[in-house]
Amino acid sequence: MVSLRGVSKWFVGRHDHTHALSRIDLDVSDGEFVSVIGPSGCGKSTLLRVVGGLVGYESGTVEVAGTSPAVARRTKQLGFTPQTPALLPWRTVRRNARFLSELNARRAVSQPLSEQESVALLETVGLGKFLDSFPSELSGGMQQRVSLVRSFVLGAPVMLMDEPFSALDEITRNEMRYLLLDLWARTRKTVLFVTHSLPEAVILADRVLVMAPRPGRIVWTERVGLARPRTAAMEDDPEYLEHVSRVRAALREASAR
Amino acid sequence: MSGPETAPDGPGAPETAGPAEPTVGPAEPGTGAEQPAGDDERPPSPPRRPLRQLAVAAAPVIGVVLLFGLWELYVRAAGVHVLTLPPPSRVLRHLIAEPGFYWEHSLITVREATLGFWLGFAAAMVVATFMAHSRFVERATLPTIVLLQSTPVAVLAPVFLIWFGFNIWPKALTAAVFCYVPFVVNAFTGLRAIDENAYELMQSVSSSRWEIFLKLRLPHSLPYLFSSARLCLGLALVGAVIGEMFAGSTGGLGNTARVAQTRLLVDQLWGSIFTLALIGVAANLVLIAVEARMLRWHSSQTTRS
Repeated sequence: MVSLRGVSKWFVGRHDHTHALSRIDLDVSDGEFVSVIGPSGCGKSTLLRVVGGLVGYESGTVEVAGTSPAVARRTKQLGFTPQTPALLPWRTVRRNARFLSELNARRAVSQPLSEQESVALLETVGLGKFLDSFPSELSGGMQQRVSLVRSFVLGAPVMLMDEPFSALDEITRNEMRYLLLDLWARTRKTVLFVTHSLPEAVILADRVLVMAPRPGRIVWTERVGLARPRTAAMEDDPEYLEHVSRVRAALREASAR
Repeated sequence: MSGPETAPDGPGAPETAGPAEPTVGPAEPGTGAEQPAGDDERPPSPPRRPLRQLAVAAAPVIGVVLLFGLWELYVRAAGVHVLTLPPPSRVLRHLIAEPGFYWEHSLITVREATLGFWLGFAAAMVVATFMAHSRFVERATLPTIVLLQSTPVAVLAPVFLIWFGFNIWPKALTAAVFCYVPFVVNAFTGLRAIDENAYELMQSVSSSRWEIFLKLRLPHSLPYLFSSARLCLGLALVGAVIGEMFAGSTGGLGNTARVAQTRLLVDQLWGSIFTLALIGVAANLVLIAVEARMLRWHSSQTTRS
């Protein structure tokens, strides 16, 4: 579903150059959930934006949903979830959820969810009473739930999530993991999930990629074999803890270099 | 912002539960709401200070009445000559005696100010839209705005008279020039200072510039436009009146005031001033009502106190 071959990306400044991505090879299969974790500046967000066609790259090839990132973007095959909820304050919850599906609608390849289906999705994330509320009337966690629903309403085969829970408090953040898994389980889209949080990376994913900076590269791949559906109880599972400690070790090494 | 999750059963609950409680209270220990102290199951009733609330609500009226009352008292007590400062009661009597005269001239001034207001707004929107989309246009346009802002634009009124002659245009254009600067600065800020994440989100599905303008930039600029509109309502009136005074005119409240000054018609001078103030207040009230309707989502509407 997503395939990168020898992808390199530089940020060229007036005084300094950054090798953001260095010969990245990556294959994500259909319906796979892949987390990307790494220290700040390791290029994980850049990787996401290269796949999303939001930034260019110097060499290598990228294929998304059987085409180039630019075409995938143009035909709305990428469901992007930004770091902040980025809801439009003048739209109600209901209309915010449908925002992405309204845009550039003529060239969309994948079918977005219907009005009723998106309302149903909002109800499953506990926003049934707030359909006609404005974002300023919602808590941060509720806003992020709308943002998640919005990306699922789009119905794109590939979902790109850029640290969507980073602004939330720990308790809300923990709830959001299972909420996301619940939404994901309904459709089993391919997900590339960038995060700072170790437990989040492991509990969500089929595979965790650890990246290191300067130059940005993938230094460790952890396959997470935990059964699905994942539950909060698994956070005490020895297998889960083993994965976490291995990823932590890889992360420590990546940060030290 | 306490959040909607607590709001629905917050202040309303104790009022409805209060009177009914004592009859069943002793039988059900768990709900003992008649005990005033030590009950942490229910929130306390919100403090009620009806007199204070009434005073706060009436404060604007009290302020205006006080102003005119003190004015009236001062003029009478100090024996101020009527040519220097007439008492407000005299001006009001004059206004009530001559409604047709002021209505007719109000219409002229309001027409000029309205035309100027919308001309200034339209020009500002066009320029701000180009500025928001291009750093080059932005940098090229900013100095011209500063130049215009630093010029006392009232001196342009005679120029407009030379260009357009004795009609509505010199006055409307003077008003438009007054409105242009606040409108263009605010419209530009509103169109440019959008949420970066929302912008990237729209890019992630290849939204066109037009879509981004219509669905992100324009709605985002609305609060900015409304706050500048409030300023510009007054400025449009100033522009129209200055136009009437300096750009040749046979009507309008600026003209009636100027004529009154040269002929020492103290009632007409102050009558024109009062009418202009009234128009300004009325226009502001209309704007506030429109804003409340259109910006229901905007937090400044809900947090303003």
